[in-house]
This record gives sequence, structure tokens and C-alpha cells, in this order.
Amino acid sequence: MPDGKGGYFERLERTRVWRSVFRSGTGSSTLHRALAIQQNLFLHLFSTKVRRRMLGFRATWYLGALTLGTFFILVITGILLMLYYHPSVPQAYADVKDLKFVVSSGMFLRNLHRWSAHAMVLLVFAHMFRVFYRGAYRPPREFNWVIGVILLLITLLLSYTGYLLPWDQLAFWAITVGSNISSAVPVFGDKARFLMLGGHQVNANALLRFYVLHCVILPLAAVLFVAVHMWRIRKDGGLYVRQSEPARESEPQPEVPATDNKEVLVGKR
Amino acid sequence: MKSMKARLISFSRALVRDPIRTFGMVSFLLLVALAIAPAKDHFSEWRHYQQQYLRLIHDRGDAVTLQRHFQGGIRQIWLPDLGVVDRCQSCHTGLDEASLVDVSTQPFRRHPPIPHRLDEFGCVVCHRGQGAATTVAEAHHSTLAREEPLLPARYIEASCGQCHHVALPGTPKLNEGRELLARYGCVRCHSIKLPDSSTMTATDQPPPLTHIGDKTSREWIYAWLKDPASYAASATMPNFQLSDADARDISAFLIANSEPLPADIVPVAATKSSSAPDPAAGSSLYGESFCASCHAVQNAAGNLVGGDLGPELTRVGSKVKPEWLQAWLRDPRTYDSHTLMPRYRWTEPQLTLMNAYVQSKTDPDLMANVHLDPATSEQIAHGKALVTEYGCAVCHEIRGIQKPENFAPELSRIGSKPLAQLVFISGMQQTLPDYIAAKIHRPRAFGTALRMPQYTFSAEQVDALTTALLSYTDRSFTLPTRLQIPSPSIATYQPAGHAGKLMTELNCFACHRINGRGGDMAPDLTWEGTAVQRQWLDDFLKNPNTLRPALIRRMPKFNLSDSDRAVLTDYFMTVYQTADIDRDSMPLSGYSTALVEQGRQLFYSKYSCQSCHMVNAAQDKGYIGPPLTQVGSRLTAPWIFHWLKNPQALRPGTIEPNQNMSDEDAGALTAFLMAQKTSPTREAKR
Repeated sequence: MPDGKGGYFERLERTRVWRSVFRSGTGSSTLHRALAIQQNLFLHLFSTKVRRRMLGFRATWYLGALTLGTFFILVITGILLMLYYHPSVPQAYADVKDLKFVVSSGMFLRNLHRWSAHAMVLLVFAHMFRVFYRGAYRPPREFNWVIGVILLLITLLLSYTGYLLPWDQLAFWAITVGSNISSAVPVFGDKARFLMLGGHQVNANALLRFYVLHCVILPLAAVLFVAVHMWRIRKDGGLYVRQSEPARESEPQPEVPATDNKEVLVGKR
Repeated sequence: MKSMKARLISFSRALVRDPIRTFGMVSFLLLVALAIAPAKDHFSEWRHYQQQYLRLIHDRGDAVTLQRHFQGGIRQIWLPDLGVVDRCQSCHTGLDEASLVDVSTQPFRRHPPIPHRLDEFGCVVCHRGQGAATTVAEAHHSTLAREEPLLPARYIEASCGQCHHVALPGTPKLNEGRELLARYGCVRCHSIKLPDSSTMTATDQPPPLTHIGDKTSREWIYAWLKDPASYAASATMPNFQLSDADARDISAFLIANSEPLPADIVPVAATKSSSAPDPAAGSSLYGESFCASCHAVQNAAGNLVGGDLGPELTRVGSKVKPEWLQAWLRDPRTYDSHTLMPRYRWTEPQLTLMNAYVQSKTDPDLMANVHLDPATSEQIAHGKALVTEYGCAVCHEIRGIQKPENFAPELSRIGSKPLAQLVFISGMQQTLPDYIAAKIHRPRAFGTALRMPQYTFSAEQVDALTTALLSYTDRSFTLPTRLQIPSPSIATYQPAGHAGKLMTELNCFACHRINGRGGDMAPDLTWEGTAVQRQWLDDFLKNPNTLRPALIRRMPKFNLSDSDRAVLTDYFMTVYQTADIDRDSMPLSGYSTALVEQGRQLFYSKYSCQSCHMVNAAQDKGYIGPPLTQVGSRLTAPWIFHWLKNPQALRPGTIEPNQNMSDEDAGALTAFLMAQKTSPTREAKR
């Protein structure tokens, strides 16, 4: 990194404003770096120390991080889409058409949202398969596995509720079929269907309900459970690594040999 | 192959291993992706068409004006109360430009002149399609979600019919289609509710079958059921495509179910045997009774000649029994109290003559191959089941069978039926107009178990019917108040007393309109008492000599008794008057010769009335309007005067031009016309 830029940045880090916001202070000692993680609301969910080899592609295939990334894309594009969308009949469909035909890059926005949603579902499954087959769900991480399953359900529900919002024939019939499946549940199936649709058939009430679920309740729940999920990774001893797994030749060797009880802080390159 | 794989692996490793390179690669891909979206926006179809339009108008003489009118960008008509967001004008830029009349390339063609403003109605209200779309494919025929595509131009009149439920002069196809819906009794099975919560009524006259055994034979019923068109080309009865056995059983049931009517059994054998009636005399009686005003007969060339108010008589001799026909001609209402057939007061010899003449219209081929064994009780029972199954009682009154309600699907909103709800047959265009047309053209092609019968509509009639059906849309029912057209009230006018009874018997309302009720074949009689002179009316009822020789359909001679005629004439002269004109304010005769001469000058020179009317039959050639050779004996002077002043006020829609005549001119013309009396010799003859 060129010195000039580094110099500006270091000067900025020394200002009073910067210091009032980031309290960990300058310096690259282990303590400083640990504090930088610990004292940040967002970063403190993560482990302060990570084995270097866990940051490589091979360790996790980045599946969890990519899932989170698609979720961020979905939140951002979703908020932008909300600017154009009314959850009412028949305006909803007209709004979707407006997005397609007159809003600048509206189709791009919709497609980004749609493909990210597909990608997220795929990535969640891939993530879970990988966790399962590597045995990362075993104690002490069994609770985090349960959280993960809940997150899977939330992801699927987000996908399902979003399906109705364009209010076209496909959406209408997909949700009709889907809600009829739920009524096949014994004892409380019909009640569940009624609760979900806000009535006995897919109409304006169902649209509003799905909208609120899709845009408020489920994203909030997802954020909450993602936070817990991340936090539990830290609490359960960091990313899982198999004891018997030898480091490969091709991988960059960690500065300190990886063991179960010795964590290594990764510094800047 | 192997080296390729190795190279790919090393490339991907190099990418993954060097974060800077990875980052650069991903950033580049993202940039490309981000560039695609605005590029697609920029190279959009509508922008392309707008540039084409600008090039088109650039070289024209009126380029400056056109360029000033042109507005770039997405243009839309937004009508919240109609639910219209139409962006069609983004590509169809020159719709409103009258000077683009010579441009024939779409999308720049000018809209043909219509009575409505584009920005008041938008485009999709009439043309359908997807107004919100800005690409040709999505706007004209959206394919993905099976949304409503453009309405083909040949059905465009259907769109007028969404709001207009009375016949408009500019929509002949729609009017014809609606008339067919009523005339062929479509709306008897398929009810059509109109936005004013009335229901369309049929105008066909399906005869009651309660006494069918008196009227015709089982063999005829069989032949008729098998193919109504082989008996009468103009039959409104459709072909139910019955098997021989089914036709046999239905005919058995109808005859067995028939209840003899005592009044029908009148022996005609006595009069018949005395002497063979003269066919020429019968033909002339048929002619002078103007039966052809209502009944058609096929001529040698296969064309129907005559009116369509009554059934076609080409082969009637093969159908009806002589005793029944005699009774029918004597008084039709005994057999069918709702018939349109007037009661002619023929004498017995005239009746026999007419009977024999009508009976002579036979077709030996019609029932040549019909040989029916006596019916068994199983056949009759099966026939009854079939009559119920096919809904015969929807149209015909049949003893012991209840008229079914909602026999066929309601069509009040058929024009908005979603494509997703239609079941197409293979090989057909999957659009609503094509579906409707195919259903009318060949109903049973959609399934042999369907009960909808086969009609013999021409291609034009199918088109007209499809147009009419497409006009019954959801939009008709959801129009904003500013666009609702008040529906005309249905007149139920019925004159009272003996005159009223006579008018019912003679079925005046079948052709004439009075106080809003009745047909439009003959003149409106609401103000007849003000218009004509009593003597003329009396003479006319006695012997209706024609007013307009060019017409085929004419007033028949009803052979009224003197007293009946007097009752009718008195009733007309007393009741059917307008309060605006005093019948006695001007004299019938006694105008000064100078005034008459002045009127003659005006007639021939200033107003050139002779272009359409005749006063002097030897000299004038006008035949568009009625001849005026004897108008002075027919009309009253005040009526002529007011007619000349403003014809449309007395008869809306008449083609007589309003000349904005001064009172003086109108007075002189009235004097001239009142001088055109029946010549004394003819008077004496009558």
C-alpha cells in the first residue's frame, strides 16, 4: 500500500472525532485488534480471533458469508422495490408493470431481488449440507444447528410470501395451492390457513398479510436469528475445524500451527 | 482436452489465490452487469420509434408544427376512474395529428376520427391490450400471463357496445349481432343481464307446442328436428344433431303430449270438395293481403322474398294440417295468444281460397324418407327425457314440462372472460374472440356431450354475434358515473277499450310504434290524429293503397267491418294528437290562387322539392320521399306547415331536410300542397 494514502489514513485515525467513535485506538498489537472487534456492535458478534486457515475458501466455501451477502442484497433491493409497490388489489400488479416498463432499471432491481432470493435459498441448503456432512452440528454446536434450521424456515417463508406480491396469475394460484396444502394439516390446518390468508381465499387480505410478513416480520426475525447465529459461532468456539484434518500442502501455512485450544489472530498482510 | 482442463484449473487457482485479481475480476463483472440495466433502458423500443417518428416528420412541410406538438419520453393517459394507464402514445406518437392522414406505416398512423377524445377514454377501453406496457409484444399480445391481448380491428365495434346499449348508426355489425342474439333466441338459454339490471329479451316467436298435434304431423316434426334448415332456410330453430332414434322419440312424445284444441277442429272438407279453388285467385288474395310483408318464400333462385316477422312459407303445405290452417287463418289467437299474426277478417270462401293457396306450397322431398312406426310408451318416455335434457321448454311451451331457469351459462360478462378460464380445442387460435366465434360456428366441436345446438350462421353473422358478445364486459358494469348512459325506458303502452282490443288483434305494434312501443317497420303513429284527415284514415283502413310504391312491405288489408273501422278511426283522431299543433288552426281548403301559385314557385324553384317528391305524376321524377299528388286529401294543413318548418321535431331521424323556412314560405307551400287533392273522378271511383 502506498505510503501517502496510509499516511492520510493514520492521520484520520488520530483525530478526536475518530477516536470518539472507535475507542480501540490505533496500533496493531493483538490487544488493539481484539478490542477493535469486541467494541464494535456489529463485529462483536464474531470471534475476536480466527484461525487463519478458516478464512481460506476451502474451509467453509464461504457459504454462510455468501448467504448473508445475498440477504443484504435482498434487503437493499427490497427497500428500493417497496418505494414503488402498493400491497393492494389490483394496484399491486400495476406497480409491478410500472417497475417493468417505466421505472428506470426497475426490471434490473426486480431481477436482482428475484435471483438473489433464489441464490439465497440454494446457498442456505448448500451451507446446511456442508455443515451436516462435516459434522459441524455436533456438540457444542447443536443449538446453533437448531438456529440454522429456523433460519432455513424463515428463508423459505420469505421466499413463499414474496411469491404472492406480484399479484399475477402465477402468484395467485401458487399461493392458493400452497395455502391449501397447509389446510391438510390435521386439527388446526384450516385455522392455520385462515390465519395465514386472513380469510378463506387468496384476496386483498392475503396480499396485505403476505406483504407485512415479507417486508417486516420475517426480515426482522431473520436479522434476529442471524445475530444469534453469528454470536453462537463465537460462543461455541469459533468455526468448526476437524481435529483429524491435516493442513494441506497447497494451503498457506498458518503462522502458528492450528490446534484446538490455541487461537491465532490473523494480521494484515 | 486434458490440457484444457488443466489450464482451467490453473486459471481458477490463480484467480482464487490472488485476492487482488479476484477482486478486480468480480468488480469488472459487477460493472458490466450494472451497465446492462441502463443500456437496456436507453435502447428501448419506444425510444427507437420516437426517433423514427422525428425522422419521418423531418422532411414534411408541416415539420415545425409537428415537432412543436411532439413530446419525447414515455407518454401516458391516466384516467383513475376508468383504471386506465395507457402508454400507447409513447410509440403511437402521431395519433392526434390530423395532417398525418397520408402516413400508413404503424405506429405513426393517425387515429381515424371518432366521436370521443383520446385523452378522455384512453386506448385500452376500446382496443384492449396492455396499456401499461412500453414494448410492442407486451402491449399488443402479452403472452406470459395470458393477459388480455389487443382486440382485432374487425370486432372493434364491441367496444362501443360496452357503454352504448341502444343501436348506434356507426356500429352496424354490433347492432346486427345484438339483433341476432335476440332473433335467434340465444338469450333464452344464455341470459344476458345489462348494467341497468334489465335482461335482454328474445324477439323470436317460438310457438307453443301444447296443441302441436292439431297443427302438424309426427313425420313433419321428425323431419324438422332432424334438420330445420331443410324445411325453411330462414329457420331460427337450430339443429340439435339428434340421432334418428332420438328424433323419433321426441316426435312421439310431442304428439302424445299434445292436447287437442276444440276450436281447431273445423271440417274444411265440405268447402274443399265443392270445387277446386282457383290458384290465381289465391295468389292475388295472398298478394293483396300483403302476407309477404311478414312471410318470406324462397324463389326459384333460392333467395328469400318477403319479410321475416312471420315464419317462412316455402314448404308450409308439407307441414300444416288443412283444418288447423283454416282455423288459424280465421283467428290466430285461438291457437297462440301471443302470435304476431293479425286477425284478417276474411270471409269463409276467402279463407278456403287462402288455405288452398298456402297448402299448395309443398315440398314432396321433405318427408319422402320419413317412415315412422307407431310410438311405443318407452319411446314416449324417452322422448320426454330428451325434451327435458335438451331444454326444449326454454323456448317452447310444452305441457307437463317446467321451463328451466338458467339453462346455459350466463353471458353478461362474456367479453371479459379470462383466457385462463377457457378450454380451447387443439389447433385453434387461443384468444377470446376466436373462442367465441368457434363456439358459435361449431358448438359440438368442443365436446360431443354438449347440448348447444348447431346454427346455420354465415361467417358475417358469426362475426356480428362475436362482436355483440364481446361487448358484454366487466367494464360495462363498472363505468364511472360520468360515462354512464341512461337506458331508455321500456314502453309498455297499451291502448284501452274496444280500439285497444282491435289493435291487439291486428297487431299494429308489430310494425308501427305508438308512444314508444312497437316496431319500426312502418311510420310512428303517436301523432297520427294531428297529421291526417279523418276521411283519409277511414279510406286507408278500408283499402290501404300504398303511400310509397317502392316498398315491398306494405300495410295489409284487414277487412274490418264498418263499425270496427269507425271505432279505430275515431280513437286515432281523438287520442293520437300532439299538444303542440292545433289541428283546426288552418283550413283544409280555400287558399287563394295567388298563394298557391307562390307555393308552386317555391316548390319547384327555391326548394326544389321535386327532386324527391312528385306532385305532378306525369312530370316529376322524385321518388325518395312519398308522392304528394294527393297530399291535400291526406294531411292537415297545420301538420304540413309544422313539418316544413322542422321535420325532425315531428319525426326524429327523418331524412327530410330542415330548410329553416320562413313562416311565409311555409304558409305558401302549405297552401300549394293542400291544393293537391284527390281528383273527383277517383273520389267517385272509391
